[in-house]
Amino acid sequence: MHLIDVQSGLLANNDAVAAENRAMLARRGIYAVNVMSAPGAGKTSLLERVLPLLAARWRVAVIEGDIVGSADAERLARLNLPVEQINTGGACHLDARMVHPAVHAVVHGPADVLVFENVGNLVCPAEFDLGEDDALMLLSVTEGHDKPKKYPLMFRRAGLLVLNKVDLLAMTDFSVEEAVQAARDVHPGLEVIRTSCRTGEGIADVAAWFELRIVAKRGRGSPPVQG
Amino acid sequence: MHEAGIAEYLIEVAEQHLRRVPHGPVRRLHVRIGEMAGVNPDSLDFAFECIAKGTELEGARLDVERVPLQLDCDACGRRTPVADYVFRCGACGSETTRIATGRELQFVAIDVDDPAEEVGGASH
Repeated sequence: MHLIDVQSGLLANNDAVAAENRAMLARRGIYAVNVMSAPGAGKTSLLERVLPLLAARWRVAVIEGDIVGSADAERLARLNLPVEQINTGGACHLDARMVHPAVHAVVHGPADVLVFENVGNLVCPAEFDLGEDDALMLLSVTEGHDKPKKYPLMFRRAGLLVLNKVDLLAMTDFSVEEAVQAARDVHPGLEVIRTSCRTGEGIADVAAWFELRIVAKRGRGSPPVQG
Repeated sequence: MHEAGIAEYLIEVAEQHLRRVPHGPVRRLHVRIGEMAGVNPDSLDFAFECIAKGTELEGARLDVERVPLQLDCDACGRRTPVADYVFRCGACGSETTRIATGRELQFVAIDVDDPAEEVGGASH
């Protein structure tokens, strides 16, 4: 009996392509965000609200991940933004290889910011780097404030936590304080913005969060496109 | 459930390594999985068993070493385990910590019989 030494990361293939995606985006100074949440937390609704605000100053591209269908891509295409639909065909997350051709197309087109809308899932997407700069995670108040305890990896990865559907707070037993505390137990200092896609609360704050990072990624902030 | 994809990759990498050296039957694949890696060892084991069928890895065992989640504290310099996913230093309570271990997802090594050995050899 003998031992063959391997010493290889089991996500090495994904991480290598993610690094390639990241390098392509960096060369063009395109800021990329991976938007993740459980199904139905409001990813598409948030983007429908936030992206038009960004599109007034920046060129926005979207890569939309769904298991099947193009319902979300069609919603976002109504905003007159370039949307690339990726069907994972059963896979519960986007991975770096799946999005690679679409990222390639984005960096060869006009873009300042790229948004990946991931498949609704709090488990698998957390483990797969796409080459993004930041992860934006949504938690809706109808999901319960103990979610961060159940899905620590996702909350750990998030660069911003959007607490969505706050217009429904009165109808739930959701405790904002407990949710934020639980999220910050897993991820000390995690930034949290409360939003409602129905009333518009917090939407401008999310846009401002993007804006800061788009400008930073572009270095000294090249002049925006004509709005 | 991305364990199937990871099992597939595990087999792909194992086959690449096995092609390079003469060997007998494959006994074990050693894998290191951190407590906070988004992979369930049982699911990985099940996926591996299914996908390995018909390959030379069929019948090989997956040996999973679990690695506990630990933090290195920037304030006091100590390494402490994480309890209940509360990311604070277990010694001084500081929140400025870094994950030291527990995120591993590593294919470590392959145990194979020597080429001359009989398949039914009772080496274990």
